[in-house]
Amino acid sequence: MIRTSRRKFLKYGGAAGAALGLGGWANLARADEILRVGVVYVSPVSDIGWTKQHSLGVEAIRAEFGDRVELTVLDNVYNPQDAERVFRELASTNHLVFGTSFSHGTPLQRVAPRFPDVAFEHCSGIVHLDNLGTFEAKYYEGTYVAGVAAGHMSESGRIGFVGGFPIPDIVGPANALLLGAQSVNPDVTCSTIFLNSWYDPGREREAVNTLVSQGCDVICSMTDTATGVQTSGELGAWSIGYASDMSQFSDRHLTAFTLDWSSYYVDAARTVADGNWVAEEHWGGLSDGVVKMSPYNEAIPAEVQAEMDSVKAAIAAGELHPYRGELKNQDGEVVVAEGEVLSDGDIRSMVWFVEGMIGSLS
Amino acid sequence: MRFTIEQRPEPSVTMRLAAPVIATALTLFVGSILFLALGHDPLRAFHAFFIQPISTMNGLSELLLKASPLILIACGLAIGFRANVWNIGAEGQLIMGAIAASGIGLFWPNPDSVLLLPLMFLAGMLAGMAWAGIPAFLRARMNTNEILVTLMLTYVAALVLSWLVHGPWRDPMGFNFPQTALLPPAAMFEPFDYAYRLTPAIFITVVAVIAMWLFTDRSFMGYKLTVGGAAPRAARYAGFRESSAIWVGLLAGGGAAGIAGMAEAAGPLGQLSSTISPGYGFAAIIVAFIGRLNAFGIVLGGLLLSLLILGGETVQITLGMPSAITRILQGILLFFLLAADFFIFYRLRRLKEAV
Amino acid sequence: MTPRLELKNINKRYPGVVANDDISLSIMPGEIHAILGENGAGKSTLMKIIYGAIEADSGEIYCDGNLVERHNPAISRQLGIEMVYQHFALFESVSVVENIALAMRGRFDLKALSEQVRALSQRYGMPVDPKRIVHDLSVGERQRVEIVRCLLQDPKLLILDEPTSVLTPQAVEKLFETLRQLAAEGCSILYISHKLEEIQQLCERATVLRNGAVTGVADARTTSSLELARMMVGSELPKTSHPPATPSSEPVLEVRGLTAEVAEGFGVSLRDVSLSVRAGEIVGIAGVSGNGQAELISYLSGETIAEKADTVRLLGQPAGHLDPARRRQRGLAFVPEERLGRGAVPTLSLQENAILTGHRRGMVRHGLLDRKKAAEFADHVIRRFSVKARNAQSVAQSLSGGNLQKFIVGREIELEPKVLLVSQPTWGVDVGAAAFIRQTLIDISRQGTAVLVVSEELDELFEICDRLVVMCAGLVSRPLETAETNREEVGLLMTGLDKTTQSRKEVDLALHD
Repeated sequence: MIRTSRRKFLKYGGAAGAALGLGGWANLARADEILRVGVVYVSPVSDIGWTKQHSLGVEAIRAEFGDRVELTVLDNVYNPQDAERVFRELASTNHLVFGTSFSHGTPLQRVAPRFPDVAFEHCSGIVHLDNLGTFEAKYYEGTYVAGVAAGHMSESGRIGFVGGFPIPDIVGPANALLLGAQSVNPDVTCSTIFLNSWYDPGREREAVNTLVSQGCDVICSMTDTATGVQTSGELGAWSIGYASDMSQFSDRHLTAFTLDWSSYYVDAARTVADGNWVAEEHWGGLSDGVVKMSPYNEAIPAEVQAEMDSVKAAIAAGELHPYRGELKNQDGEVVVAEGEVLSDGDIRSMVWFVEGMIGSLS
Repeated sequence: MRFTIEQRPEPSVTMRLAAPVIATALTLFVGSILFLALGHDPLRAFHAFFIQPISTMNGLSELLLKASPLILIACGLAIGFRANVWNIGAEGQLIMGAIAASGIGLFWPNPDSVLLLPLMFLAGMLAGMAWAGIPAFLRARMNTNEILVTLMLTYVAALVLSWLVHGPWRDPMGFNFPQTALLPPAAMFEPFDYAYRLTPAIFITVVAVIAMWLFTDRSFMGYKLTVGGAAPRAARYAGFRESSAIWVGLLAGGGAAGIAGMAEAAGPLGQLSSTISPGYGFAAIIVAFIGRLNAFGIVLGGLLLSLLILGGETVQITLGMPSAITRILQGILLFFLLAADFFIFYRLRRLKEAV
Repeated sequence: MTPRLELKNINKRYPGVVANDDISLSIMPGEIHAILGENGAGKSTLMKIIYGAIEADSGEIYCDGNLVERHNPAISRQLGIEMVYQHFALFESVSVVENIALAMRGRFDLKALSEQVRALSQRYGMPVDPKRIVHDLSVGERQRVEIVRCLLQDPKLLILDEPTSVLTPQAVEKLFETLRQLAAEGCSILYISHKLEEIQQLCERATVLRNGAVTGVADARTTSSLELARMMVGSELPKTSHPPATPSSEPVLEVRGLTAEVAEGFGVSLRDVSLSVRAGEIVGIAGVSGNGQAELISYLSGETIAEKADTVRLLGQPAGHLDPARRRQRGLAFVPEERLGRGAVPTLSLQENAILTGHRRGMVRHGLLDRKKAAEFADHVIRRFSVKARNAQSVAQSLSGGNLQKFIVGREIELEPKVLLVSQPTWGVDVGAAAFIRQTLIDISRQGTAVLVVSEELDELFEICDRLVVMCAGLVSRPLETAETNREEVGLLMTGLDKTTQSRKEVDLALHD
């Protein structure tokens, strides 16, 4: 499935694909039809964070198609009851509909079968249907690179991680963060706190406080706020941003692993216009440019920066896999044998911590 | 010129009729200014807000689907409110109802049983009543403040739900995501027509409205509650027991909220996740007061509030306004409605000043 | 001489009612002027217009010859007009002196003010403890606070709305002395009442109102009671007939040694109260309000449950432990002192208020209300007791106090109780209706009902009761045969001066607590 995704990117995502894309678009234009796309955000668009990155994807469609696309965007749709209605509403008038939150999953699964002629794309989805595709990012590739910086920069050998929910999309990257750090300093540990909310600045601030007072001096926060970065900075700890570049919130922001969904958005829009859209599972990382590293903090020594770049390149080239064995779980049992690599399926359902992680998954 | 606000000797019949009209007119006026300032055609905006959402069958179905739990809960709450029993924890009672009903739906040995829905209905109702029974017991026995207790228990209920969907009830096939497995088909209300989402659960609300009307308008028990609310000393004088008003008032709200929770789980949700109510338990308080604690007023209030929510989405879809703007308009209308209501019982009088 | 106050062609309409119809009157400085009229005649409305609490639809008010163009209570007080309302405007949760301080201009000096209040109240024979919380005061005590408050303002025109109903005969005498003294000092007094004797005793002139209009201005001292009454009522006054009582031998309502301690500031403790009422007789409880009547009545009605069941006996059975509903089931009916909020639900219609205590009379079937039955019952009460209301759908709070009182008394009498408790049966009720209520009470007692009446109007008690007891400081006197006692004896008992009941010292202390 990753291969199909890559193929599509080669076909349409690159500059060489522009002509093909235009060709597809010409079909729609002859039929005197405008591509209509509906997008549902889980929160209002702000300066940074999850929804902001999706809005950049929407902007990419607009830039690509100009006035030949009609975009309808709804924000702040969270509850399943409301989401299902909104998706029905959008599906009745649009060719392509995007859901951008895990919580949009069940509603999309209910709506998609009723609108077989409409293409649905679901970010963070786990179920895909004939006309419901999913797309997701390999966050763990980003956290592994950031982990290399964390391993070097931490003096206490303790890093802290704040997560929204203990789901594979968060647990996996937390593990990779530690694995990246351990690759340069095997003694590093990582303490974790889950907020059970994507947006709770009060508790996030408290969580960062707790972690720092426990001795953690590098904090990574995977939520929908910049609170983690900000609070760490106030407490004098290094931080790692998520989704957007958050360097504006702290001068101790090491780097951020940012998300760029534009290729998925543009690709989906183009194939739908083209008439050859197929529901697929996309899962892109550093190699596809879906996950990117934001500019490194100047405080990171040049040789560390160079090491980070080489790790990044190795991951992108497929030479380095963050989850290559031997990996042990918290109890010291070997889960991935020496030399083996965790399968994609196992990565997407990773709900266990590697050795050195401190905290529980509930 | 100075003005004073004074109580009318009798509630104004004219204002009672005029209040909604005045409120609507003021909302249209202020809303127009708002839309013009944002560069939108007010006529189009209001059309999108109030007409478009209900101009299709699907729109009507969605309106009823949204209004149904609001009206159901508001009916139950209003019985308590009439007796000065302030249950503001319907949200928690709804959650407990949804939990109990889903528990039956998920774990009943025979997932195809026709008994599933009736059992879930009972479980939902009883769970809601039990959750409301705690503050009832505490107030009747120890005179605790039910406003605080019901509100606090809402948070407890939310935490119970969170614990269940993150822990024991988490879907084993769900990649650790905080939600349960889907309910089996026999545990779900079947829509009237698969093109729409509306299910026969709407009849529960219809029955509840009629029952509420009978209870408050025709039953002696309802009368006693009204007396207890309007004049507690008159209730004591007549020998109506305060504790029964507390119990009935809280259990009615809890039961209704529990049933609403069941209907949400077995209807639009189909599973439990960490957020199962878009604040129905709190919105229903507004509905109850827009409806002036009267069964048919509540129906209108519930439809209005639902229309505002649907209209807010339509405005986003058709005019591209952000959701914040639509919420402002919803707030304006509710404010004017309640403010206009105030003038049924009070009036503004100009003060004569000293020469 | 310029009139202190002059009204010209005052009109005030409410929906469906003309409250004041082209009223003109004038009061000279130092004059005591009576406004005489039945309840609902428009007296209270007129007083509120004078005070500026409500606005007239048309007409002019002159004060000391100057037209008052804009009017409100604050302006009234600048002009030196003070008013003692029939319904008191006191804050329940603060003390007497704090209430008074709120109405005063200038600096807050509670200590000095307390002294002033104490001095004034002593001087006018209206003992008020400035430190007590208003919540704990009886209606009578609250009125004293209101009067004292007005006197502290050194008024030029004092309006008193039915002030004597809560005072002992001796206190009325004292009040009158005060008022005469005030008048002699140049203060004009507007005295609203329906009590002819008082007006003849106190006032110089009387303006008589009927149905919102002036029916005449009379010299109060020379016009006969009969003439005044005719101007007021428009017809001859009915007289009550009082056939001799033939009471049962056994009491049907009995209180045996009821003692109830309450914390200070929370009412009056009852001390070893005993009394009995037999079927077929009317027993009256006399006394200045606030001496334990409210507490005793609450123990009798069941709103307060007695510690020992046997201290209250109903129809020969212990009943102290029963709640009001059970006592009503056994044949008790009760008219409370407070009409709105206790005897009736203000926001409900008369028909719905009929159900409050009448629900056992076929108005509830299978748990559902029979509104038709309730309406019939309410209509019957409205007709029989000539309640002035548009119909049974009228909301209780829209009725005047007197009319609501008639409705509640009527409702309880229509329940045909075996024992009827009545608190202030004719308070605020017009002369004609009061006579009717009194006659009805006598009639039902002669038909075998035991009637216990609490009243602060001695005249009323002497008119209808067969026996009297007097309450003072939580104590109840020995029963007196009405025929064998007189106002002086009762008056002395009311102030605790009768040495035969209790030691004087003890009662004196209780009075001044």
